[in-house]
Amino acid sequence: METLQNIAQGLLERGDVSMVIGYTPGTIPGKTKTIFARTPEAAQKLTFNENCVNNLSIYLTRQYGNIGEKPVALVVKACDARTVNVLIQENQLKREQVYLIAVPCNGVKDEHGVEQGKCKSCAQRVPKDYDALAGETPAPVEIDPTLRFKALEQFDAMSPDERWEFWMKEFEKCVKCYACRQACPLCYCERCITDKTTPRWIEPDTSTAANLSWHITRAFHLAGRCIGCGECERACHQNIPLGLLNRKMAKEVFDNFGYRAGESAEAKPVFADFRYDDKEEFIR
Amino acid sequence: MARIGVFVCHCGENIGRTVDCSVVAKESAKLRDVVYSVDYKYMCSDPGQIMVKDAIKKHNLTGVVIASCSPLMHEKTFRRAVQETELSPFLCEMANIREQCSWVHEDKVLATKKAVDLVRLMVEKVKRNTPLEPIRIPVTKRALVIGGGIAGIQAALDIADGNQEVVMVEKSPSIGGHMAQLSETFPTLDCSQCILTPKMVSANSHKNIKLYTYTEVESVTGYIGNFDVTLRKKARYVDDSICSGCGICQEKCPQKKISSEFNTGLGKRPAIYIPFPQAVPNIPVIDKERCTYFKNGKCKACEKFCDRNAIKFDQTDEFINIKVGAIVVATGYEMYNIGKNNKNGIKGYGEYGCGEDPDIIDSLQFERLLSASGPTFGEVKRPSDGKVPETVVFLQCVGSRDKAKGMEYCSKICCMYTAKHTMLYKHKVHHGQAFVFYLDIRAGGKNYDEFVRRAIEEDGAIYLRGRVSKIYREGDKLIVKGADTLSGSQVEIAADLVVLATAITAQPDIVPLAQKLGVGYDKYHFLSEAHPKLKPVETNSAGIFLAGACQAPKDIPESVAQASAAAAKVLGLCSATELEREPYVAKVYESTCAGCGFCIEACPYKAIDNKAIVNRQGKLIKNVAYINQGLCQGCGTCLSVCRSKSIDLAGFTDEQIFSEINSLFV
Repeated sequence: METLQNIAQGLLERGDVSMVIGYTPGTIPGKTKTIFARTPEAAQKLTFNENCVNNLSIYLTRQYGNIGEKPVALVVKACDARTVNVLIQENQLKREQVYLIAVPCNGVKDEHGVEQGKCKSCAQRVPKDYDALAGETPAPVEIDPTLRFKALEQFDAMSPDERWEFWMKEFEKCVKCYACRQACPLCYCERCITDKTTPRWIEPDTSTAANLSWHITRAFHLAGRCIGCGECERACHQNIPLGLLNRKMAKEVFDNFGYRAGESAEAKPVFADFRYDDKEEFIR
Repeated sequence: MARIGVFVCHCGENIGRTVDCSVVAKESAKLRDVVYSVDYKYMCSDPGQIMVKDAIKKHNLTGVVIASCSPLMHEKTFRRAVQETELSPFLCEMANIREQCSWVHEDKVLATKKAVDLVRLMVEKVKRNTPLEPIRIPVTKRALVIGGGIAGIQAALDIADGNQEVVMVEKSPSIGGHMAQLSETFPTLDCSQCILTPKMVSANSHKNIKLYTYTEVESVTGYIGNFDVTLRKKARYVDDSICSGCGICQEKCPQKKISSEFNTGLGKRPAIYIPFPQAVPNIPVIDKERCTYFKNGKCKACEKFCDRNAIKFDQTDEFINIKVGAIVVATGYEMYNIGKNNKNGIKGYGEYGCGEDPDIIDSLQFERLLSASGPTFGEVKRPSDGKVPETVVFLQCVGSRDKAKGMEYCSKICCMYTAKHTMLYKHKVHHGQAFVFYLDIRAGGKNYDEFVRRAIEEDGAIYLRGRVSKIYREGDKLIVKGADTLSGSQVEIAADLVVLATAITAQPDIVPLAQKLGVGYDKYHFLSEAHPKLKPVETNSAGIFLAGACQAPKDIPESVAQASAAAAKVLGLCSATELEREPYVAKVYESTCAGCGFCIEACPYKAIDNKAIVNRQGKLIKNVAYINQGLCQGCGTCLSVCRSKSIDLAGFTDEQIFSEINSLFV
């Protein structure tokens, strides 16, 4: 069995990769931070534990400039690898530009020991596709797949008016700091639609209506793409349950097209794929 | 500062009846930047156009709004008028106050108010219009004709006679199509092959036509005037440059009992074969699946006897790249098969025995029985025992007009050919009796109804209006049980032969080809024209035209007429060295494009590609979308999938649309 540090050290010693992006213990107990290990020595600082909540695939996007001539190694959980697949699907990255070091994951927790929502319904212990596995292949687990959309049940049970009321209350809190966007590995647009001024698609103020149009637009833009890493919700200091919006869109996409984002880097993105057997119930 | 002129048209009573045009003109005058407005009875008339031109000069207008009918009607008229002044034609917009206002409303006050709103929208839009330049693209003066049936042959000949080069491809070993299989043709009963074969020969020998048989279209890229096509010339295992077509190989081939496609299974052929005596080109092809050598590695009888050494067992598929400016699709049809195994979920006819009884045949098989070159040399003999049938029952609308079988359309040609069949049968078997079960007799066309009357009155065919519920065998006879709805009685006929006029269906392999070409198709897989009335030959992919039954069931005269129409379109296209087209195409803002590629996948015209942006050292900075203006049809699908709004549509920019919408909230 190879350890994470050994794999990373080897890669850096051989010069196979320009850096290894992974986790290292943070300064606050129960938290980890990102490390960009460029030397074999730095590789020793790498760690993986149940506090490694962050989705590090964001550092592969063009804005960070980490991708150069040589590949970059990235420590990934199963969910993070799905994001990498979406980035490859969307031409932001080539598979050969990234070296995936998979870490077996049994679910991650925040600094208060609370398990993340996404982990409750996740049965995938290692990614489908990776270059090296740090640790041993864990025993498979069985989890009821319907759990994935369990959280939506209480919202779907609400009347449209109640739902509207709920979301307007949530969006009222938004201060448009755009942390959700900044934390999202798939919000890689060179210029976000909300920053476009001619014409202005989204009102720039923080009225509830303007906030609504921002969040709804963002949810639409992530439909069929969001893999549910939950970084937007974690980044939101106003505690708006943004993950719910994305999960709702994921359910719609799954129900209508049988598609789950990030399952394969070769799949066509669902919203750019048209098939004659597509359900077209929404047109009626 | 914009100076806009508004011209309100009454269109006689068409608009004036429900919209108070003078009020619209007065209200328009109050809009910001409108410096002149007027109403007039017929704006499209000469005096109306002169009013527009004079006003442009007199008031130094920077933009014009014509409030009248749909731009589909008169946009060209007014833009041409505007162009005659110094103003760019693209600074003229139309507010549709007829189709979208006066025709659909009754309340004059409200309709007038809406008309003012529509004018206001267009004033806001035209202020943001830019003087676009029409796009010019070069034209390759060569056409591709796909399909070598009568439609394809006619189109190729007409184009070639117009002094343009044609490449013609046919997937089967010979051109001729279904028409070559027919015996005689309605409504004149002239021999099908006699009128077709001279055209086949001309197509093969014409100096402007390059013919590829046993060839299929592998891929199509490019756009109007500039298509790049790859053809797959399938291995014939016979060198067509050496073979003289002597036919000795056919004689010597030990495999003699293969069911002949040309004779619709009623005749036999060897494994190396020329499909029919008049085939063009007269070159055989080896059926690899059935050839003894290909199966067992031994035989090569054909090779031994070929004195020209034309047999090439090592031949492989050859790929040929050609450049063409226009494409005519003439891929024809296929007959619906009543058997159990049908494509597209279409059901067979269990009540008619699912094609398992040899004496229940389809019309094309009956054509072969009637044909002098057919398996019975023109004698009507039934397939089971070779007996001359004395009672023949013809069933129309088998599959067609039958919702239960999934084909609700009328196959159009069956009424006529069934009448023809009864006549030809009577002419050959004088004591025979023909019965026809029909739903309606559809004989619209020159001399068509007279023809059907002749079949009934002179040749004694008995027509019964109704469907047949069951056909079953009783000894030597086929018992046909049906209804005669006109007399309200049940009919039972003991027949010797039953001929089913099965539906005309689309080619089974048309969908992949349609997708390669970017041509739409309907739920029956017939190819779609651009407009059912005004653009019946064009498709929605510019530069690709339709001819014949690939579009819908058609008879020979119609196919020929459409083929000539398609040829005229091709010749028109080739008459110019450059094409001019409307500049309403998408454009990419490269600085903000993240190159996600959604637009590339979403574009129905394959007009978008990746473009690498590199720095001075040639190092890749990023990939962005690149729009081929020749291919782009301006549909806007790419805009809708672009999350960062890095694509815009010239002439219909987001800014223009936004300002239109915003103008409604004043």
